[in-house]
Amino acid sequence: MPDNPYINLLVTAALTVLFIIGTSYGLGALARAIVRARGGTPKHQQNTFAGYFFAAPWIIGFLIFVAVPLGLSLYWSFTDYRVTFTHAPNWVGLENYIHLITKDSGFRASIVNTLYYTIIGLPLQMGVALLLAVLLNQKMKGERVFRMAFYLPVVLGFNAAVLLVWRLMLNTGTGIINQIIRSISTSVPAIGYVVRAEIYVHEVINAFFLGITNGNFNLLHKVIETGFPAANRVPLWVQSPLWSKMPIVLLMVWGCGTMMLIFLAGLNNIPRELQEAAEVDGASSWQRFWKISFPLLSPYIFYNLIVGLISTLQIFEPIYVLYRDNQPLVPSAISMVYYLWQKTFSHFEIGYGSAISWVIMIIILIITLIQFRLQNRWVTYDIY
Amino acid sequence: MRKNIYLVLSVLMVLGLILTACGGTTATPTETTAPTEPVTGPATLKIYLLDYTPATIEWLKSEINPAFEAAHPGVTVEITEGTWSGWDTTFSGFFAAGEGPDIINLGSEMNTLYGESLADMDPYLGEAAWPEITNFGPALENAKYDGKIRGLPIFTAPRYVFCRTDIMEAGGWTTGTPKNFAEWVDFADKFSIVDPATNSLVQQALVPVDAASMADWQWWLLVFYSLGGELYKEDGTPNFDSPEALATTQFMLDMRQATYGPASDAVGTLPTGQGSVIDRDDATGKDNGAVCLAHSGWAAPAFDRPIWESISIDPFYGDSPNFPESQPVVLGFNDWLAVPEYSQNKQLAADWLKLALSKEGDNKWCETMGLIPARNDSQYGFVVESPQLKREAELAAQYGIGFAGIKESAKLSTIMQDALGKLITEELTPEEVVAKIQEEYSDALK
Repeated sequence: MPDNPYINLLVTAALTVLFIIGTSYGLGALARAIVRARGGTPKHQQNTFAGYFFAAPWIIGFLIFVAVPLGLSLYWSFTDYRVTFTHAPNWVGLENYIHLITKDSGFRASIVNTLYYTIIGLPLQMGVALLLAVLLNQKMKGERVFRMAFYLPVVLGFNAAVLLVWRLMLNTGTGIINQIIRSISTSVPAIGYVVRAEIYVHEVINAFFLGITNGNFNLLHKVIETGFPAANRVPLWVQSPLWSKMPIVLLMVWGCGTMMLIFLAGLNNIPRELQEAAEVDGASSWQRFWKISFPLLSPYIFYNLIVGLISTLQIFEPIYVLYRDNQPLVPSAISMVYYLWQKTFSHFEIGYGSAISWVIMIIILIITLIQFRLQNRWVTYDIY
Repeated sequence: MRKNIYLVLSVLMVLGLILTACGGTTATPTETTAPTEPVTGPATLKIYLLDYTPATIEWLKSEINPAFEAAHPGVTVEITEGTWSGWDTTFSGFFAAGEGPDIINLGSEMNTLYGESLADMDPYLGEAAWPEITNFGPALENAKYDGKIRGLPIFTAPRYVFCRTDIMEAGGWTTGTPKNFAEWVDFADKFSIVDPATNSLVQQALVPVDAASMADWQWWLLVFYSLGGELYKEDGTPNFDSPEALATTQFMLDMRQATYGPASDAVGTLPTGQGSVIDRDDATGKDNGAVCLAHSGWAAPAFDRPIWESISIDPFYGDSPNFPESQPVVLGFNDWLAVPEYSQNKQLAADWLKLALSKEGDNKWCETMGLIPARNDSQYGFVVESPQLKREAELAAQYGIGFAGIKESAKLSTIMQDALGKLITEELTPEEVVAKIQEEYSDALK
């Protein structure tokens, strides 16, 4: 290859195009040969060639970037293979899987944490998305601005600036969120009492989850023993293992823009006549929402649930962004995919990491299949 | 038709898998021999650096690289800048692909992590090939694996204890930096202030690495070494079941509780501020909150800050009343440049390293960072002219212990952070913490 990087790039691009054309032609020709061998008409052979020729770039991309890595990861999952090894992977059979399922307490902790995000974070995320969609569905001034504003977090993603802003906002002492909580709690004592109750309940729940991951409930006993929080207590967002999961949930809720748009589309698809008829019959707005809109939104809720579930079970980015340089909090917030990343790219255990990825895939598959099985009980497609 | 699709896809998938399975993904190490002729001709030497200052990069690009390219006609030097955040993922990619930069930036404990995949540079940088190698101090040990040189160290950045003497004296503490565990706990109790209105710290007696938990694994190791602790027993097994390990863990908990109170108090951390935590805010005249800082020099105020009149620099003294083997320690971290085994330009990489880390080069490189050069003969000029660096260099020479030689360092870090996190929440007792680390780390080393 020439040393000039620009010529290098051009040559690489040209070779890539040639490769795609060549393999596409090869695939088309192979398909045509098969049809010919099976006695297909010339027209059928021609059509088959054209079909495979044009579909080939995607098929080849799929094979190279999906099928082959899948096959390799499956093979590696049965080996002891580390990136830094200079020798070939050692075949260890089912050892990685057995260790992962029976002995690895870290993986068990990551499953429990992921369960937390799924049970607590996902419903909150969907609830807020639905609430925003219902609010934005009221025809009002500045509706587009609000839509854009609520969708903006999806566009922004989890970059360094976002991380910094969230960390500043979540600082225990001077963060804006705790400042607001303090200010409201001081000026309205009743709200202060509710906040403290919420802190107590939150810490009990989180101590329980941490207890499951650790195999002992010392912390839960301590939280209960300490009793109702003092008047000056505020959440210890990115400081305490008892609170480390909540900022992740907040980030999930903050990024609910896509779900919101889907709900909004669903609300717009509900025939207006149904609402008007109910209104004429004297139904209140709550009754109209609960008896008409909500059931008719169920396909959209189901879609968001499935997509949200899969994405929550694979949650990685918010944890990486918030805690990658706050190591002491990682164990209390770690998710299955973060654990996979840690084993694969931090400990360089590619074989073990591959086994984790396959177990995660099976978990997601089972949960998704269960959801699909259960949809008949609550999803209404009648109106569509 | 559908059957055909399945057939074609299956054939291609099987072919793809067979072909890929046949192809090796890892490079087999080759016997390294140093060429006798200087390398010239078209080539690109790729260097991957992490988190250097703009001044460093500017100096490399304007002085070192042009000089190198002039001496090696046809060779181009390409510097890529990365960050310590996420470096491991990037480096994994290089090693997995067997292709990447010819020189990579590593930290001191990473020689054991990557050692097997790094080139034996003895033929290029050993004493026989380059007599100047003898000028490198103990930091060179961190750039070795299996007794062979794998690259060259750039600087030493030890962890010192910086203390604000003005705040200490104003608070009636006249004996200087605490000298043992009891003094430290007493000091933490006296000089940590919690604002009752916000239930958060407004002054923290000691800010170690990770101010919030006060239980970072690197800080733990520093304290452990100061007691004379050894990380491994003679048979190579971990030594976390030693009295030193237990005392260190108990000290972590005592300091944390003396600073933040019991975990149930749920006290908030120091506010996030501008500049070093032991500096003073120019605009408000208020202190940033820390009385002492156990950290590298880069976390301390810039050398030209007036606050240095009131800052002392000391080692961590250990706990001689309870552990007679105690020794003052500054834990030495290094950045070093390694040559991966996959590099096709080992001679060029060695030549570039020799140039950039010559006596003058190392001095200049470290001047742009305000750190101590790894080469002994480069410790002139700014090193001796700055009273702070002079003191730091003296302490490093006298009490320096390398943060190196840690087997499975990434795993140990994960194991320790997990266990120490449970110490500060009081989920586990110090005894349970060391037992957990001992068990899990022993398992990791098998």
